[in-house]
This record gives sequence, structure tokens and C-alpha cells, in this order.
Amino acid sequence: MTPPILEAHDVVKDYEVRTVVTRALDGVTLSVDPGELCAVAGPSGSGKTTLLNVLGTLDRVTSGSVRLGGVDVDALSEAERADLRLRKVGFIFQAYNLIPVLTASENVEFVLLLQGLGASARRERAREVLADLGLGDLIDKRPTEMSGGQQQRVAVARAIVSNPQIVLADEPTANLDSRTAESLLDLMVQMNAERDVTFLFSSHDPRVMARARRIVHLVDGRIAKDEVQAT
Amino acid sequence: MPTLLRIAWRNSLRNWRRTAIAVTAIAVGLAASMVLTAWGRGMFQQMADSAIRLRLAHLSVHAGGYAQDPDISRSLPDGGRAALVRLATRKGVHPTPRLEGAGLIQSSRNSGRVAVVGVVPRTEAQVSAVPGSMVAGSYLGGTERQRVPPIVIGSAMAERLRVRLGDKVVVHVPGEAAAGAFRVRGLFRVASTEFERSVAFLQLADAQRLFELPGRVTEVAILLDEPDGATALQQWLRAELPDGQEVLRWQEREPALASMLQLMDDIYWVTYAVVFVAMAFGIANVLIMAVYERTRELGVMRSIGLRGRGVVALVLWESLLLTLIGTALGLGIGLGLVLWMAEEGIDLSAFSEGLRSWGIGTIIYPRLILDDLVAPVALAATTALVAGLWPAIRAARMPPARAVRQA
Repeated sequence: MTPPILEAHDVVKDYEVRTVVTRALDGVTLSVDPGELCAVAGPSGSGKTTLLNVLGTLDRVTSGSVRLGGVDVDALSEAERADLRLRKVGFIFQAYNLIPVLTASENVEFVLLLQGLGASARRERAREVLADLGLGDLIDKRPTEMSGGQQQRVAVARAIVSNPQIVLADEPTANLDSRTAESLLDLMVQMNAERDVTFLFSSHDPRVMARARRIVHLVDGRIAKDEVQAT
Repeated sequence: MPTLLRIAWRNSLRNWRRTAIAVTAIAVGLAASMVLTAWGRGMFQQMADSAIRLRLAHLSVHAGGYAQDPDISRSLPDGGRAALVRLATRKGVHPTPRLEGAGLIQSSRNSGRVAVVGVVPRTEAQVSAVPGSMVAGSYLGGTERQRVPPIVIGSAMAERLRVRLGDKVVVHVPGEAAAGAFRVRGLFRVASTEFERSVAFLQLADAQRLFELPGRVTEVAILLDEPDGATALQQWLRAELPDGQEVLRWQEREPALASMLQLMDDIYWVTYAVVFVAMAFGIANVLIMAVYERTRELGVMRSIGLRGRGVVALVLWESLLLTLIGTALGLGIGLGLVLWMAEEGIDLSAFSEGLRSWGIGTIIYPRLILDDLVAPVALAATTALVAGLWPAIRAARMPPARAVRQA
């Protein structure tokens, strides 16, 4: 049996603003297996983004534990966590995802650069992925020269270019019109089906829910329901 | 170009107005510092050159103890021949013997203290600025014998004594009824009013007769085509000359002037440092704003795997680019202004009396040395690193989860 990519055990995350402590996650236990297309659903303030942040090592837990690719992330330094993200996780955020001063190709290459790949190998790989995603015409365009949907597709290309173990997408369709959102979701479903890319979304967009095979419902920082949808 | 440098460069151009203002501030501050430094260096170097060409020369040979107590009784018994013979064949070295003593100069209308300097006009012309600074009459020299021997005095002394060319003056020196009459052959005008007012030149033989010191001189003054060789020549001469003769560099004869030049060197560094400290706050301000505006972007970069030190490097590149562009521009403007002013000179005739009392000419020729160009570049790089460090560390320490949430 293949071990889970992500495991969260009894995760608690508190935010302290001055003297007020707010509990964003309250005893979350969850695991994500390779190849899953999983959505974390819930209303605003339910803790979806916080959960993705702690699972993606962008934030530390108050208590509990998170294992990413079998590694206990709490034991790692900030630099080690950055390296872990670089090797194992791809990220897609709501908007303003790309580095504005870099072209589409350079944005995608940036991950490979951090991984230490040579210039020509980087360029070749980035162009290949962009072409696969139908973005061959945008290679030399900067984000300001692209539509929101095109930017998100480039963000997907950047997220998958290094073949990460999992892609975490935080409300990826939030700023897109419905046609563009549908197209982006279709692309991610296709990536999951054809390339076996594991996706974990956070969203309250019904279109995302309709495509996810597993939905984890989060209410007030707790898992209210964890269901696998019939395909 | 490394990717982080490329990102830093493009980031600098994102808000080009802000970048342009910061770069202009750096350039103007630096150019102004360079002009001030060049002006000060030119002014003080002219003061030193004036002292060297009027009295001190680069090196001088004296009887032992003369430097501490410059009394005519401490003269060189061999007439400076030991030094003159040894230096005669050395290229770029110009020695001349002098006999200097104190006296009183008197005209029919006035009198005053005077330093009487006996010189050999032919060799003195290679060492001293006085022979080339005649404003009336001519310098000493010539073969014709005159009943009344010639004397050359400064314009200021002529005014004080109220004498003109051809007038007779009497010079009294210590000794039993030692005095001599001289006819004013020429008047000189130099950068130092004090020198002009207090020094008179005679032919060496006439001075030796006046002071009753036949064959004697108080110094051999040596001017060098390459002043940097003074220390080596001093050491060689010390080894060559007989005991009882001392060889001094001008800095040892006038330590106050040498210290002042050194002090000015230090002040130039302080000037640059003050300018760059002020710049550092401006640069830090620009970077803090830039980092604040790009918090989310930096958060995204951190999220995809850029380490904290990568963020530090990115911000420092921006700081370095900003500073180096400003520095290059400032160096260009400053150098252009200094070269232009060095060609024309800065005419300060309006303050001529004040400047001449310090031995500085009325036209200042700004001067820069290599250090004046190296110093700003070294300080600029340091400033860029120091100014950028705080915003850079702040950006690197921001948790990525919080950074990506920032609108």
C-alpha cells in the first residue's frame, strides 16, 4: 500500500492578536493519498486556507503534527521547510500568483532554477509544460499582458513543472469568471487523470466540489464530514 | 544575468519615478562631495606646493640641530659641498645651497625685520618659485659687477619700506657693525603675503660677506621631479653624508602643515561618510516601501521554495543596483565638474588677501586623487549593503503564510 503524501494528526492552530486568541483549526486529522483530487470545503472563516497553509508548511501548527512525504515538518527549520516545499509541493493561490516582472516562461522556470537545474534544461522544460497546457503563445508575455485565466493556467504550469508530490490550490477559481474557472478546473482534472498529479483544493465554489472525488467539509476549524463522491 | 539580479533590475524599473528620485539624490550628493573634496584638496595642495617652492623644498640638508633651532651659527662648514657633489649626477634632483639669517631691512622711510636668504641664482631658479614670480625688475644673477650689490624683495615689503626698483636699502644683521647697502633689483609677488613681506634675496657670496661666514651655507634645498622618491633619497643621503649633517623631508620641517594635509584627507572621508549615511536612510526608505508593496509577491516566492536568504539577496541586489547607478552617475557628474573647474580654475580674487595670508593663490585648481574615486565606490557598496539589510531581513523573516495573505 502506498503511504499517504500528507498526514495531519490532531492539528490545532491558534492565532493570537494582542490578547485575543482565535482558534482557526481545532483537532484536524486528515490524510491525502497519491493521485487524489480532494477539496476542502466550507464557509468563509472555517479554516480552509489555514489548513492548506499548515499542510503546505507555510505556517506552523500550535499543536498536533503534520507529515509531508513522510517527513515530520514541525521538526524542520524555515530553510528546510522551504526546501521541502520546493521538492514536494506545488502552490496555486487565488490571484496575483505570478512574479510580475518575469515572463510566463521565466515564472515557470523560477521553480526549476531554485532546484538548481541548468539554464537550457529549465527553458526547455518550462516551454514544454506551457505548450502542453496550451500556453505556447504566452511564453514571452508578462502577467500584465495576460488575462486572469491565462495567469492562473501559467500558475498551474509553475505548480506542476517540477513534478511535485502534491499541488495545493487555495481557492484557485475565486477571481475568475465562470467560463475561465470551468476551463481551469477541467485542466486540473485532466492533470490528475493523465499525469496522476495529486490536488488538494480549498474552495467553496460548487464547480470545484462537482469535480473533486473527495470533499472534506470544514466547519469552525473542525472536520464536519469527509466524503468520497461517486464518479 | 543571474535570475535574482534580473528580477531586482526589473523591480527597480517598476516604480521608475521613485528609483529616479533616489538615484538622483545619490548622484547629486556624491557629485557635490566630489567637487568639495577636489576644491579642498586643490586648495591645501596649493598651500603645500607654495611652501615647498618658496622655502621648504622636498628635502633639505642642514647642520645637526638646525631644524630645532634654525640659527645661522649652525651652518654647514663645507658649504654644502658634500651633498651637492653627491647629488650632481642624479637625474630629476635639483639641489641649491642657501644661507639664511635674520636681519633688519631699512629704507630712507621705513624699516622692518627680514629673513635674508643668500642664493645661487642659477640653481635657485630650478628649486624656488621666486625667480619666476618677478613683477618688476629682474631676479639676481648676471655677471656684471656693481658697486652696490643687488637685492630682490617682495612687493609687500617694497610697499612697507616705500621703495621702488633701483632704490637703495640697508640690511643690518647681528654682529659687530654688520650692515650692507643693496640696490633693489627686482620685486616678486607670490601666493603668500607673509613670505612677500618678510624675505629678501641676495647673491650667496654677498650674503656670506654680510654675515661674515665665507664659504658657509645653512642649507642645501633639494627639489625632486618625483616627490614620491623623497624618503628613499633621504635615506641614501643620510648614509652618504658625514656625521653632523641632517637630511629632512619637508613634512619633518613643517609637521603642522603635513598634519593639516593628513587631517584634510581624513575630513574628505568624513564628508563622504556623512553623505552616504544620509543616502542610506533614503535608500532604506525606498526599499522599505518596495518591500511593503511586494509583500505578497515575496510571500509567493517563499511559498514556492525561495529561502529567506534568497529574499535577502533579492532586496540587497536592488539596493546595490540603486546605489551603484547613483554612484556611477554621481562620479560622472562630479568628475566632469572637477575636470572643467581644474581646467579653468576657480577664481577667488575677491578673497585674495585672506587666501594669500595662508599661502594659497587666488585661483584654486581643484584636484582629485585616485582615492577620491575609490572611496565613494567602496562607501556606496557598503551603504547599499547596510541600507538594504534591514528591509531585506524584515522581508525574509515575514512568515510566508502571512505574506501571501497581504493584499
